Amino acid sequence: MTQPAIFFEEVNERQGVFHRRAILLGAFAGLGLAGMGSRLAYLQLLETRRYEKLATSNQFNFKLMPAPRGLIVDRNGAILAANRPNFRLLVHRDKDLDTEATLKHLADYVPLDETRQRRLLKDINAAPKRAPVQVIEDMSWEQFSAIKLRGPELPGVTADMGEVRVYPHGGAFAHVIGYVAKVNKEDVDEAGPDRDPIMLHPSFRVGKQGVEKALDVPLRGKAGAKKVEVDANGREVREDPEGDIPATPGAEVQLTLDVDVQNRALDVFGEESGGAVMMDCRTGDILCMTSAPSFDANRFVRGLTGPEYRSLTAYERKPLLDKCLSGLYPPGSTFKTMTALAILMAGIDPDETVGCGGGMHFGGRFFHCHKRGGHGSQNLNDAIKNSCDTYFYSMSLRVGPDRIAQAARAFGLGQTFDIGIPGQKKGIVPDREWKKRYFKKNKEMQPWWPGENLSYAIGQGYLQVNALQLAVMTARLANGQKALNPRLIRSIGGQELARGSDVADLPFPREHIDRVRAGMAAVTEVGGTAWRASQLGLGDVTMAGKTGTAQVRNYDSGGSRGKGGVWHLRDHGLFVAFAPTDAPRYALAVIVQHGMGGSTAAAPRAREIMRTALLKDPEIVARVQKPLPMPELTPDRELDIVPEVSNVERPA
Amino acid sequence: MTVSALTRPGERDRLIVKLSEIDWLFVLVLSLIAGAGALMLFSMAGSSWMPWAAAHLGRFTLLLLVMIVLAVIDLRVWFAIAYPLYGLGLLLLIAVEAVGDVRLGAQRWLAIGSFSFQPSEVMKLGIVLALARLYHGVPAQRARLSWWLFVPATMIALPVLLVAHQPDLGTAMLIALTGAAIVVLAGLSWRLIAIFSATAIAAVVPMITFVLHDYQRERIFTFLNPESDPSGSGYHILQSMIALGSGGLLGKGYGLGSQSQLNFLPEKQTDFAFAALAEEFGFLGCVSILALYAAVIFMALRTAYLSHSHFGRLAASGATATFTLYVLINGAMVMGLAPVVGVPMPLLSYGGTVMVTVMAGFGLVQCVRVHRYAEVTSGKGSFV
Repeated sequence: MTQPAIFFEEVNERQGVFHRRAILLGAFAGLGLAGMGSRLAYLQLLETRRYEKLATSNQFNFKLMPAPRGLIVDRNGAILAANRPNFRLLVHRDKDLDTEATLKHLADYVPLDETRQRRLLKDINAAPKRAPVQVIEDMSWEQFSAIKLRGPELPGVTADMGEVRVYPHGGAFAHVIGYVAKVNKEDVDEAGPDRDPIMLHPSFRVGKQGVEKALDVPLRGKAGAKKVEVDANGREVREDPEGDIPATPGAEVQLTLDVDVQNRALDVFGEESGGAVMMDCRTGDILCMTSAPSFDANRFVRGLTGPEYRSLTAYERKPLLDKCLSGLYPPGSTFKTMTALAILMAGIDPDETVGCGGGMHFGGRFFHCHKRGGHGSQNLNDAIKNSCDTYFYSMSLRVGPDRIAQAARAFGLGQTFDIGIPGQKKGIVPDREWKKRYFKKNKEMQPWWPGENLSYAIGQGYLQVNALQLAVMTARLANGQKALNPRLIRSIGGQELARGSDVADLPFPREHIDRVRAGMAAVTEVGGTAWRASQLGLGDVTMAGKTGTAQVRNYDSGGSRGKGGVWHLRDHGLFVAFAPTDAPRYALAVIVQHGMGGSTAAAPRAREIMRTALLKDPEIVARVQKPLPMPELTPDRELDIVPEVSNVERPA
Repeated sequence: MTVSALTRPGERDRLIVKLSEIDWLFVLVLSLIAGAGALMLFSMAGSSWMPWAAAHLGRFTLLLLVMIVLAVIDLRVWFAIAYPLYGLGLLLLIAVEAVGDVRLGAQRWLAIGSFSFQPSEVMKLGIVLALARLYHGVPAQRARLSWWLFVPATMIALPVLLVAHQPDLGTAMLIALTGAAIVVLAGLSWRLIAIFSATAIAAVVPMITFVLHDYQRERIFTFLNPESDPSGSGYHILQSMIALGSGGLLGKGYGLGSQSQLNFLPEKQTDFAFAALAEEFGFLGCVSILALYAAVIFMALRTAYLSHSHFGRLAASGATATFTLYVLINGAMVMGLAPVVGVPMPLLSYGGTVMVTVMAGFGLVQCVRVHRYAEVTSGKGSFV
């Protein structure tokens, strides 16, 4: 032993201390491990549920899937708006993905030129990570399957099948049904903070006009969700079809429109501009509501290009304007039906006559009748038949504006109807009260001048109506009893909406209405203003009506009286009609904007539309096809009455 | 071999005897833990040996051999190199300060050729050896309460301050606690222990406010309220607790842990390997692993207990303390009881540096066991 560093008992003391302390260290470690064990027990045995839930919400995401949009069908179930499959190609970016190379690779299978590639690359880089950007839509099946097959070589590329709205009748229903388009910021703002989360889905389309807009929520249905397993970076790892939440398809909306009548109506307008509304005058159902010229709603679904949109807005015949609801026109002589009711209401004998010499002097002015030579002696029936202005000028002075307005309002003019779609304009039915309100700031203009009665009586002046109102007016006349309301939407998801016939009676005695109807029947008889233009060729099934030619400007300045010249200064041609005359079923109003004459522009079109509706009605067809009582015929009348058999058959 | 044979002089210096004296049960337990680690790493890689499981097993096998080599080296060699190793460690830490690589915002790595390592790891073993060497010749009274205690205090403070400056708070804390453990084991007066503990606790608040870096401060605050920022720094702790809790009693099954397989668990192969194990094997799996760790600590401490030399006792218990601290700190972090400090679970987690440190420490422990009857400072063969 060299140099013992410490004494023996010291060594023992050190060892003793160490042994005690080592046991303490062991105890400390044991305590620590026991603490870990109890913490584990707490987390893993007592809180398992909570953490399992959190782990599941980490692991699974639900991807919203838009529901198929509800169909829109006509009264017989013919499809007016449907969905068709759309093969789309989507690309998203992610770290360690070369988007540029991917696009180049894609160009081998689908048409994708350099410029488009560059633009897409910019779009994809601007989009949030993993948010898919649509590269191509409406791929062919071959292209779609080629991409699907090469899926593994094309990271970041998805080819999927979406749905896109399709309107098989193109423009015929564009104003009524409207269209769907991409959601824009205004739509999102309008929906408010409680909006449907599906609105932010890239393939979701929102209704922008007409029925698509008004019934957007029921048509949308309820979005489903796809359960996917994701990793921490949000990449989809696996799909879990069992966990999917199925979408509830949108409700089917049935309209009261008839696809054939509607198409025929658009057809007969040709190049002309205007609107036609037909109603069933027993139920109030709208069978056709056509505005011409129209536009192809399918283009709006895809998204209009700038030039396309500009050409639609620049055209003076305004294809985007709904001329049935939003277009206001003076009703012209079609309004004489209302004036006639006012005359009867005023207690004037309908057989009282007025001599027409081609017009009438009043207040230092000469008011022309449309027939310069004059109609001679006219009673109420003659005046409606010939549309004699002088009779109505003369009577209006005894009736006054308030009675005329009362009749007009009772028949639906100057108001809007709850037909389920927006866009109706009220128009103007003037009376003394209205004029006072209208010229609130201009005292001199407030009194009702007797001269104003004259133009009011023939449907001019302040009076403004739309085509739907004229149709309602005619339907109420034809019904003769009920103040029918129009109905456009028959049912939503199988739930029928209130009928237009569940309403109160008209506040007019039946014999007054019958007088007016007799006048309208005379209009289409020999010598009536619409005699030639309104022959249906359906035997004893005839049409009653009233023509109207509405001035766009005051002719006192001379000129061509609206019968020619610049389009936008020409007269409007109007015709209201119902058929069959003896037992009315269909009421119709046709306005041909700047079409010049009611009997030349509007009545022939009304005849064609009416024929289509009548020939779709089996009861009318049965009546027309009934063998005629041959023995009573005289040879010269035979030609007039015997229907051509070919006309009677239902169109294919 | 009989007991009497072992008492024959020189008998214990024979290599075959030394090898037989190694605690092979201890080796088995270590292998079980490392095996469990490899199992988890295989699962986390999506049932693949690459990139982690194979490397983990290979590394462990190699380091087991190193451990055995270290165990049969004469304890007096350890005694002799204690101060030089500590000195080298200090020099390397100073070198890191001067020329080290900056990785992940901290200056910790020193590159020698293509091989780079963290000198702070050398210091983990260096501080154990140096303090054991220091206390070896010190009487109980001086170790208990005296002005001399400034010597070990300075020896601990120097590396701790250097490492903390890198900044690597986790390692600095580990070195400080390991040093403190040796000082306490050597017989520090309870009064001083109480005073130091009180001072340390009192110093926590000003430390957090003035000394810590922003990210360190943030870690502590998120730890205190992990839900405050579930997508930011609280994310790690929250995800780890979700992995643990959702494991339940029996776990989700091998390879079926959604948290680890889908990468919700951050740093799953290193810091949060235990959480991944907890998710797939549940409470029973965790308790089994904890039992293995307890066995390791018990066996290592027992080795220290049985050592006849004070150097041996302190060195073995110091190495054990380091290992214990790793386990407890990582466990507390994974379970949401401590801030995220980047201390892995030894042997279970993937990562070479820590495994080198731990296995070298166990080499020291086994060396103490093999040489438990040897005298290190006197008699034949003394190096000093």
